Amino acid sequence: MSTTYDGGRLLGRLTIHDDAQQMIDRAREEGIETVWDRLHAQEPQCGYCQLGLSCRNCAMGPCRIDPFGEGPQKGVCGADADVIVARNLGRAIAAGSSSHSDHGRDILEVFSAMAHGETSGYQVTDEAKLRRIAEEIGIATEGRSVNEVAIDLADELMANYGTAKGSLSFVERVPALRREKWAGLGITPRGIDRENVEMMHRTHMGVDNDYVNLLLHGLRTALADGWGGSMIATELSDIMFGTPTPVTSEVNLGVLEVDQVNIAMHGHNPLLSDVVVTAAQDPELVELARSYGATGINIVGLCCTGNEMLMRKGVHIAGNHLMQELVLVTGALEAMVVDYQCIMPSVVDVAKCYHTKVISTSDKAKFPGATHVSFDPHRGAEIARDIVRMAVEAYPDRNRDRVRIPVAPVQMMGGFSVEAILGALGGTPKPLVDAIVAGTIRGAVAVVGCNNPKLAQDFEHIELTRKLIENDILVLVTGCAAVANGKAGQMMPAAADLAGPGLGAVCKSLGIPPVLHMGSCVDNSRVMQLAAALANAIGVDIDSLPLAGAAPEWYSEKAVAIGAYVVGSGITTVLGVQPPIFGSANVVNLLAGGLDDVVGAKFAVEPDPYKAALLIRRHIEAKRQGLGLTFIASEDIRDDEFAAAGATVGS
Amino acid sequence: MMRTVFVNPERCIGCLQCEIACAVEHSASQDLALAFREAPLPRKRVHVQAGPVPDTAYPNKCRHCDPAPCQRVCPTGAISRDASGDLVLIDAKRCIGCAMCAVVCPFDVLTFHPLAGALTPEAAVAVKCDGCEQRVGRGEVPACVESCKVDALVYGEINELMAGGRLRETGAVLAAMGSTPTVTPNGDPLAGWRSFGAARVSVNDTAQGAWLRRRRQNGARADQNGNGEGSQALDGTTREEGTS
Repeated sequence: MSTTYDGGRLLGRLTIHDDAQQMIDRAREEGIETVWDRLHAQEPQCGYCQLGLSCRNCAMGPCRIDPFGEGPQKGVCGADADVIVARNLGRAIAAGSSSHSDHGRDILEVFSAMAHGETSGYQVTDEAKLRRIAEEIGIATEGRSVNEVAIDLADELMANYGTAKGSLSFVERVPALRREKWAGLGITPRGIDRENVEMMHRTHMGVDNDYVNLLLHGLRTALADGWGGSMIATELSDIMFGTPTPVTSEVNLGVLEVDQVNIAMHGHNPLLSDVVVTAAQDPELVELARSYGATGINIVGLCCTGNEMLMRKGVHIAGNHLMQELVLVTGALEAMVVDYQCIMPSVVDVAKCYHTKVISTSDKAKFPGATHVSFDPHRGAEIARDIVRMAVEAYPDRNRDRVRIPVAPVQMMGGFSVEAILGALGGTPKPLVDAIVAGTIRGAVAVVGCNNPKLAQDFEHIELTRKLIENDILVLVTGCAAVANGKAGQMMPAAADLAGPGLGAVCKSLGIPPVLHMGSCVDNSRVMQLAAALANAIGVDIDSLPLAGAAPEWYSEKAVAIGAYVVGSGITTVLGVQPPIFGSANVVNLLAGGLDDVVGAKFAVEPDPYKAALLIRRHIEAKRQGLGLTFIASEDIRDDEFAAAGATVGS
Repeated sequence: MMRTVFVNPERCIGCLQCEIACAVEHSASQDLALAFREAPLPRKRVHVQAGPVPDTAYPNKCRHCDPAPCQRVCPTGAISRDASGDLVLIDAKRCIGCAMCAVVCPFDVLTFHPLAGALTPEAAVAVKCDGCEQRVGRGEVPACVESCKVDALVYGEINELMAGGRLRETGAVLAAMGSTPTVTPNGDPLAGWRSFGAARVSVNDTAQGAWLRRRRQNGARADQNGNGEGSQALDGTTREEGTS
């Protein structure tokens, strides 16, 4: 396992995109501090924390374990490196799982209020999906109105958060063999909030002091996210805002319009962005914009709010995580409207250098210096219009001399919900299964996760994805990874030319790209559903399938939770950034080895995208061998690309 | 010119980052996640010793004395002074672990551990600060100084550092005097001394920082790291660029 590779240092660059680099240069010229400056100021970062060996959980501490063995080997309470690392990891999983699940709860609450007729701006858009899911979890639909069914569905899913009956509703979607495995290990998720609360309990001083027991509950906590909170968020968003179907959009900072009111929707939850997109088409507001000399109102997305809007409405997307400050530096943004998650507090400071208004909308996510408009779904449409009006009113304050929109946009395709993928295949996963069995498609990999300023922005996402598709491996993307690949032009049907002959031919016959955008980070639940559908179609457990996950540039606790539920569901996952666990050899050995015997999947850390691709290709071919399919022997899979790059990578 | 790692113990918050950075710097892998699995273990050469009252600490390390008592008593000549004259170095190959250096060291900074390059792999030899001579040779500051976020450890020419310290003291005294007229009979007589204390240990305008900034403004030292100019101007500290 190499740990010294540094994509940024290898390239000597902070980003591989022209739009980002131009804005970084401009920020430096203008003395505007960005994430890269702050990282530089933090370096070298705390060694104990990087290894997971610091504990702040109680006031007998804080404590540290000396990795070099000269200093303390136990905290004040007696916890050793294994316990401290496992507790810290457990809390990170709980934080990530809570974030997705609380996002899901917000959608569920609006869904419930909508069903009771109490909202403005929301309706059931996909009635067929509402009825299908209701029936799936045992709610009668025959002869009942949409709202009656929706009320029952909302009540049933709310019970998933609290004390559920045995296990979460969507656990039924998990292949039977996997469910048995979970039951045997005692990690079947019971209640979404319950698993998170229990993790906080277990990691309190003097509760769970067995790192194996703690990490198993970590998997259960994460599974309550992937098959609970996130899945509820995805499914109810589809019902309310429409199940995505293939749609072409545009990406990068070039989606900003020089002569329009530009509004960036940043964050994660589609509740607000959906009504804002509608409000931006309000003739009165468009007329107001025209009266100020603008030719229209241009809504663009950032991060996962952007992905939600792109997936369902084709709204253009300005960028991913590390673009959030740089989009402000264009000077062309009237307003950045934020809800929650991954919104750097610094956007307020950068926005102060321009006329841009930062408008916070969630009462649980306030930003000092921003204008707060409390979002209330009961008046969703009205509030959305107020927000758009604030942005339009800022247009006259724009300093035209400071506007710099760096590049022309790139086209990308999105909208590949499970329903859309199965639809493209004729309604069943069989054609995909056939292609995998025949070997034209070797397997599939979900490349997901964030950006991290420790790596050259998007380099790992793009290079790993390209190496995979070149080797006939279908790539599914969500979140920041999707935006990265979109910017690289790897997400249009024409990118089939970049793919290997097998995958390329399949993509051309279906008219789809070799890299399929499945949505935001909560939409990794779609990846879980697709994996379950494939496993059920073949009649095996998920861990038998030629699948893998990758989070090449992850940074957030949410990514930790995603990684844990993907592995817990039976899909081996490769991380590109070292998680803070290396202070405990036992924890590392369990996560990178022992877990394979328990859940049929494990973690690996490989920061080099070419080596990660090699590792994943060998893994997929081994899984093919396990299924009795044609396979390429491990020693015959060679990585010439990396040697060609001429880089030296640590041990 | 006598360049050294200078200690401001009143600033030390006991984070121990200097110890970690020191051990990694003296590892074969130079990689935190791998370093503590190496054999022999890389060893720290700076020791953050807790003080007699809570929340105090002193990051203790070799002061590179001249003449160095350890050098004088070493029976095998393992201890020598480097060409620059700034550093006292130990040749592990010649160390017999007699600990005479430790006996005479005025600061008790020697430790004894197996070390790569020693005569035998098992025997403990004397280990102490080598001034990060390789880093300094590359134009970097010692690893402990780089890791210190609060300027408890700073690196520079000793007389310049002391001049910076005097500048700080002067500012502190003037701050105390400046506040004195505002103290009314019913006011807080400690206000002046509080101002003195605040200025004495102020972190944002450190003694060395102020001194080096002034030198830079006078054009005394060209910024050799043009690439990082923007960020250095932003982060408010001049520690690294001033000493690179």
